[in-house]
Amino acid sequence: MTPQYKYTPEIPEPFRCRVPLPGTLQAFLMNGVLREGLSILDGRISLSANADRGFVLNVKTGATMPETLQVISIRDSEGNGPISYSNTFQFGENSLSSMLLCAHTLTMEEFRTESELVIKLDQGATASIVLMQNEHNLSSHTVNFKIRQSAGSSLKLNIISLHGGLLENIIDVRMEGSNASCELNGAYLVDGKQVINTMVNMHHLVPGCISRQLFKGILDNESKALFSGKINVAKDAQKTEAYQANHNLLLSRSAKVYAQPHLEIYADDVKCSHGATSGRLDEMALFYMRSRGICAAEAKLLQQVAFVYDVLEKIDNVHLRDRLLELVESRLRGEFAHCANCSMNCC
Amino acid sequence: MLVIKGLHAEIGGKEILKGIDLEVKAGEIHAIMGPNGSGKSTLSAVLAGRENFIVTSGEVFYQGENLLDLAPEERARKGMFLGFQYPVEIPGVSNVNFMKTAINEKRKYLNLPPLTAAEYLKLMREKMAVVEMDNSFSGRGVNVGFSGGEKKRNEIFQMAMLEPKLAILDETDSGLDIDALRVVAAGVNKLKKPENAFIIITHYQRLLDYIIPDIVHVLYDGRIIRTAGKELALEVEKKGYDWLINS
Repeated sequence: MTPQYKYTPEIPEPFRCRVPLPGTLQAFLMNGVLREGLSILDGRISLSANADRGFVLNVKTGATMPETLQVISIRDSEGNGPISYSNTFQFGENSLSSMLLCAHTLTMEEFRTESELVIKLDQGATASIVLMQNEHNLSSHTVNFKIRQSAGSSLKLNIISLHGGLLENIIDVRMEGSNASCELNGAYLVDGKQVINTMVNMHHLVPGCISRQLFKGILDNESKALFSGKINVAKDAQKTEAYQANHNLLLSRSAKVYAQPHLEIYADDVKCSHGATSGRLDEMALFYMRSRGICAAEAKLLQQVAFVYDVLEKIDNVHLRDRLLELVESRLRGEFAHCANCSMNCC
Repeated sequence: MLVIKGLHAEIGGKEILKGIDLEVKAGEIHAIMGPNGSGKSTLSAVLAGRENFIVTSGEVFYQGENLLDLAPEERARKGMFLGFQYPVEIPGVSNVNFMKTAINEKRKYLNLPPLTAAEYLKLMREKMAVVEMDNSFSGRGVNVGFSGGEKKRNEIFQMAMLEPKLAILDETDSGLDIDALRVVAAGVNKLKKPENAFIIITHYQRLLDYIIPDIVHVLYDGRIIRTAGKELALEVEKKGYDWLINS
């Protein structure tokens, strides 16, 4: 008798997000390589791979994205060693776009990723971009945002940093056309020995633009947060409005925040402000909540969630906001932060 | 319901309570009066479990159980409520979320399922009506931007929601105009039942025109120096505290 062998090669199942949000279209970037391109609205919106790594998103003049485009960047054991790539977002005149970018690590290796996001908004373009970072402690990821805005364009960028060994978000914004607006919001949660570094360079080069920045973070254990924010108002950039705030909640004595707000103003008719604070949980509020039957852990959680909710509420997509709120809550509870009903460990 | 025996307490090494004895039975309303600095607020804080007050000696039993062994949240779940003299603002935590969490934590303790959204809403509307509170308060941060009167109404609203067995109201009347005072007092009177009890801490007799106490105590320098019926409040109003202190 010859034994019967059946040939079953081990083909790894391609990664899928099993719990997509309603109204989103998904694409996957595996170790920097776009798995498949996308073409929406007769090719007026296209996502195509760069020759090597990274992708180009092109939104043509006047096009409106029918759904949020979600790009999930994954690092896993297939892509060894440090990688770097560049993605370009080209938002055409008077286009309207909504993007969700998720960055995850799937397997437990040391990852070093350096990515560049070149974001260009043509005249009158409106774009909303949410970046969610959820990577493990062996991951070090630097994101270089290079943003250029033309006249009357409007950008909203929300960065939710849930987890990661070393996360760096270096954001350079150049307001090159008048009456443009830029809103940058960030929430970061760090513990253990995690480090988060946020650097913002906001250049107001022309008159009549508005920028608003709000970055809030919660730090536990021996984690560190660095925030360096600079608002640069050029000589001709009259009627500029530029605001920046960085607030931190420290849960342990050994957590550290280094905040460096800078303003450099060469115009004389502007409204600008900056502020940076660090503080701890409010003892009196904790006692108040406990006196109503809420246990100490839950009372602390409520206060922490409230602290970062200021940032979450800037996200217009309600489904996404609720999902992120759940992730933030489970992260703050010390649980593993993953989407409900999903068994994948995208972290 | 509540038995306090020889209670001594201090804060930062300074003795504030110097031997308090008090017994409160179900169905009773007790008023504790006294001049500033006599220890009234310390007594309420110690009963609610504020950790920066240290009990140096004495005992407190609540429904037969050693109260001082319980964490503040356990005291609350077992039916104790403290109405704060200065209600705390909690930015970012909405009134709805705050009360829903509190109610469901209590229900969990009592082995009851959490309220559904509809059940909660119904209960909230009903109790907001008790204190004539506008529905718009529910979405706002706890006490954030509330006037003095609104904060005190919110305390009574929370009390109505939690239906405590023993409610301690710490100077709920201070800073209230006459309309707010009437609303707060009406709230207390609606919640009064034979099986629950109140301790009303107050500076003035004014509130006691609306909430009739069964027993009035005068606290001075960390001790109860006089206990009598409701007529004591009127006497204090007329003569001040000096005649008691000096007698």
